[in-house]
Amino acid sequence: MSDIQEMLERQAQWQEGRKALTWPEKIRMAERIRESARQLRAGFRHEVPGAVSRLRNQGDLK
Amino acid sequence: MKELAELLNEMQKVGVIQDYALFGAAAQMRCTEPVATLDADVLVALPSTKRVDVLSGIYEFCAARGWKAEGEAILVGAWPAQFVPAFSPLTQEAMEQAETADFEGVPFRVVRAEHLAVIALSVGRAKDLTRILALLESGSVSREGIGRLAVRHRLGEEWQRFENRFLNE
Repeated sequence: MSDIQEMLERQAQWQEGRKALTWPEKIRMAERIRESARQLRAGFRHEVPGAVSRLRNQGDLK
Repeated sequence: MKELAELLNEMQKVGVIQDYALFGAAAQMRCTEPVATLDADVLVALPSTKRVDVLSGIYEFCAARGWKAEGEAILVGAWPAQFVPAFSPLTQEAMEQAETADFEGVPFRVVRAEHLAVIALSVGRAKDLTRILALLESGSVSREGIGRLAVRHRLGEEWQRFENRFLNE
């Protein structure tokens, strides 16, 4: 079995294991997923324009 | 979510709503792994009213307890809750036959997996179809069970299309 295949199988087992969590635990996990997504979206809105201008100043982005 | 369960039970007790049941992604998670979702969807049965805004009683009750409206939802604890009047025979049946789950010691009415799948089939967006696949994969529903319920609610053709597209190879 290749390393990648083994890694994918481990990941599938890990995901499968999350089904066994209690419903309140899953709901709390969903709350954390939502909060992470919110922060990512907020980060993108604020960070990307600055990042582009920094790159442009460095001559990396024409 | 516990605050939402407590709120719904209280609203039912005092007659603001006659019945309720959680559906959508938050309900799906009883059977599947956790999924990303923004809000909690709740089917409600309302007492008959002559008011144009049928949800006004819910909004007033929530506001009196400090839960404020946020767009189309009411923010209850960490969850924006969307209240949807049971609008069809399918959703009425789903609410009436809901299970009473336990959420950290609080009874919480939740739509059963088969009804969740057929409601998702009736809506038909990509994320709804994904929900049906997740429920099937979890073993909480069977193709035959969904098929029977879909036919009873005149969604037999939609189910056939779904089976041909995703399940029949």
